[in-house]
Amino acid sequence: MTDAAEPRRPRARGRVLLALGLVMLVGMLVVTLFGPLIAPHGAATTSPDSLAGPSAAHWLGTDSIGRDVLSRLIIGGRTTLLITFVAVSIAVAAGLVLGLLSGYVGGLVDELIMRTLDIIFAFPVFLLAIAVVAALGPTVPNLILTIAIVYTPTLARVVRGPVLSVKRWDHVEAARSVGVGEFAIATRHVLPMVISPILVQTSLTLANTIFTVTALSFLGIGPPPPDPNWGGMLSEARQFMELAPLTVIGPAAAIVFATMTFIVLANGLREVLDVGSR
Amino acid sequence: MARVVLVRLAWMLPILLGVSVVAFVLMRALPGDFAQASAGTTELTPDALETIRRSLGLDRPVWEQYLHWLGRILRGDFGDSFVTHKPVLGELLPRLAVTAQLTLMAGLLAMLMGATSGLLSARLRGRTDWVVRGLNGLMLAVPNFVVATLIVLLAGLYFPEIGIFNYTPFLTDPLANLGSLLLPAISLALAVSVTISENTRAAVLEVSSQDFVMVARAKGLHRRTILLQYLVRNALTPVITVTGLQLASLLGGSILIETIFTIPGMGQYLFDSISNRDYPVIQAIVLVAATIVLLMNVLVDIAYARVDARVSYD
Repeated sequence: MTDAAEPRRPRARGRVLLALGLVMLVGMLVVTLFGPLIAPHGAATTSPDSLAGPSAAHWLGTDSIGRDVLSRLIIGGRTTLLITFVAVSIAVAAGLVLGLLSGYVGGLVDELIMRTLDIIFAFPVFLLAIAVVAALGPTVPNLILTIAIVYTPTLARVVRGPVLSVKRWDHVEAARSVGVGEFAIATRHVLPMVISPILVQTSLTLANTIFTVTALSFLGIGPPPPDPNWGGMLSEARQFMELAPLTVIGPAAAIVFATMTFIVLANGLREVLDVGSR
Repeated sequence: MARVVLVRLAWMLPILLGVSVVAFVLMRALPGDFAQASAGTTELTPDALETIRRSLGLDRPVWEQYLHWLGRILRGDFGDSFVTHKPVLGELLPRLAVTAQLTLMAGLLAMLMGATSGLLSARLRGRTDWVVRGLNGLMLAVPNFVVATLIVLLAGLYFPEIGIFNYTPFLTDPLANLGSLLLPAISLALAVSVTISENTRAAVLEVSSQDFVMVARAKGLHRRTILLQYLVRNALTPVITVTGLQLASLLGGSILIETIFTIPGMGQYLFDSISNRDYPVIQAIVLVAATIVLLMNVLVDIAYARVDARVSYD
């Protein structure tokens, strides 16, 4: 399923997308990293008028117990993004090791790793995440671990595929003939050749993880209170949403913005690095 | 054909076994004690706890517990719910039917929307293509539970007369049932339709540049014949595959959508069981869902072989 029929799109479009994605990402990171400095109010500070509409003091109004929605969004982004980035980093690291091992060593090792990952693959990602979090308890480290586990198989497959063909290329044989060790070949001569699809998949996984983290929080098995997070805010706001629509639209927009950022980045990377459309 | 089916089904067995190990281990990994969760209280005398442990077989070696548990599952006994103390299977099946209906409706909607928009996008190109792809990009970024929440919000604000939360069982009133599942199915279908649309578009574009389509055009076949007999038929393969593979995400998504629209399906059952720490139910749902996904993947493979004669599994 490649876009073979289509003339290769100009790279310029990819560069624009990539730049746009990076700007969105940096903006999001700056706002969340300096959250407590930027946020006009504290995340738990209450004011007497609850469910108020937008005003100069509360740009996005207040929630059902009078907390500032904008401040909670800014501070809630920290928890959501922290879990996302740490979990995806672990999944990428595990995917790299397993995929490289599986694809490069091959044989029985390959069979063993891929069949084990097939088992994880058999579960709907979200269902597995719910089950693991429910079993281990909803804490931040457990959420990170769970998300890392459910996304490792995808990343391992993305690494393994290209490694299978790259390991037969001439430069690998050349390196081996001059006595380069197997480990050095795998990490220095094979890995750099497969980095593009990994970057694209990482970006897509970040988008998926935003979904999983916020959805788990939405179901009430996300990061524990009192720290706000986007999924939890959306879920809490549903009770009074007809009275204060902004309490729902705020976190919804934040979730969509974060997901959009990573999708734009993935598409930009895909076109700039010329990775196949799947 | 029979061989294809058998080989694929045989492949499922080791994976299913692995799935059962995961489901079993998950339950043993719980915080707190399984016996305590079963009793529903932490205030137990050591003696009472010991009696419960023995009655649940928790005093035996883990591998023996696993084999015993697996044996019972194979006979259709998923144990009793910690909350209602009734067999899990009997409680699960009616809810599974509701979820299956929702998932199926969402799948059909997604296929309809995806295949139509993908085909239009690839055949008309130009502005249509641009609009479809833009919409797809947007829909991909809006998670299904956000769509559902916004739908509920909009309906509440502007159409308060629609009863959004009035789930009607199919047997009571089939039409009202379909109506009550329509909005949930749409919120579930949107993101999935994007994947189908993009794949249909790519497949149609690829097929239309093939030589045999040019030959068909050159020998003067009718446009509609080319479209239906050549393009659609050949583009069907990737579309079927993608739709089938999306079933897992539909099933996962229905958990969220059911809790939002208060539909008494498997998702809501799971959600309640998590709040109640009703582990046999969680375990049963995990097992059943994984089995369905595996079966669907096999069906996809078989459908693939049916549609495309070039695929063989020798």
